[in-house]
Amino acid sequence: MKPFKELDPVLHSQLRLAVMSVLISVKEAEFSFLKEKTEATAGNLSVQIQKLKEAGYIDVEKKFRDNYPLTICHITPAGVKAFKEYVSAIQDYLGRK
Amino acid sequence: MTPIAINQSLSKMENDKPLSETESIALIQNMIHKAQGAVGDKSFYFLIWGWLVFIAAMSQYCMVKFIPALRDYNGLPWAILMPLGGILSGVHGYRERKKEKVRTYTGDLLKYVSIAFGVSLFIVLFFCSINEGWENAYPMIMMVYGMWLFISGGALKFTPLIVGGIIDWCCSIGSFYVPQSHSIELIPILAFAVFAGYIIPGHMLNAKHKREINEAV
Repeated sequence: MKPFKELDPVLHSQLRLAVMSVLISVKEAEFSFLKEKTEATAGNLSVQIQKLKEAGYIDVEKKFRDNYPLTICHITPAGVKAFKEYVSAIQDYLGRK
Repeated sequence: MTPIAINQSLSKMENDKPLSETESIALIQNMIHKAQGAVGDKSFYFLIWGWLVFIAAMSQYCMVKFIPALRDYNGLPWAILMPLGGILSGVHGYRERKKEKVRTYTGDLLKYVSIAFGVSLFIVLFFCSINEGWENAYPMIMMVYGMWLFISGGALKFTPLIVGGIIDWCCSIGSFYVPQSHSIELIPILAFAVFAGYIIPGHMLNAKHKREINEAV
C-alpha cells in the first residue's frame, strides 16, 4: 500500500483553505468579498492572505476605486496545482478510511 | 460536519487551526457553493428588454391593425423604447460594475455573449432594413434571441432560460412559414417569443435570486 501523501501545511488550515476554495471558483475577488464569505475578521484574513501570497498560491493587487483602497486577490497556477493536490490527498485519505 | 456547522465554526475561528480531512472536504464544498452564488442578479436585462420589446411590438401591431390614424407612425414605439432600453441597460451596467466585489468566469462569459448578441442583432437589423425589408428580419431576430437565451441559461444553469431559447427558435422556424402577404402577423409571434423567452424566465430568475438572498440571511 502506498503511503499517504502529506497534506500541504499552507492549505491545511481553516481560513486559508476557505480563501483558496472561494478563489478557485471565481476569476478574482475583492478583500471585502472574501471577508463576507469566510466571516473572518479583517486582521486575521489579512495575515492568512499574506501567507498564501508568500507561498505563491495567490496574487494580491492593490488598487483604488473612487479614492478608496481596494485589495483584489486571484489564484495563481501554482495555487491551482496545490489546491488540486490537496483535494486529491484528502480524497485518497478518505477513500482508505 | 454539515456546511452550517462548518460555517459556524469558521466564524468563531480566529486562529490558524488545522482541520480533520472530513472537515476540509465539507469546508471546500461550502465555500465553493457560496462563491458560485456570486454571479448576482442577471434578471434585469432579460426583464427590461423583454418588456420593452413586448410593449413596442404590441403597440406597433395595434397601430397597424386597429388604429388607421396612427398607421404611419407604427415605427415610433421602437424608435422610443429601444434607445430607452439602451440607456437603462447602460446605467444599470455602470452601477453594477461600481459595486462589483468579485469577477466570475460565468459573469465574463455572459458579458461576451451579450456583446455577440448585440452585434449580431445590429447586423441583422441594419442589413435587413436596407436590403430586404423588416419582415425578413423577424425570423432571424428570434433566432439570435434564442441563441442568447440558450447560452445564458446554460452558463447560469437555469433551465427556464434554456427552454425560453428553444421556444424562440421554434418561433423563428414558424416565422419563416408566414407568407409575405401576412407579414404583420410576425409581430405578435415576436411578442410571444419575448414573453415566453425573456419575461417569464426573467421573473423566475429574479425570484430565484431573491430566494437565495433570503436563505443566506
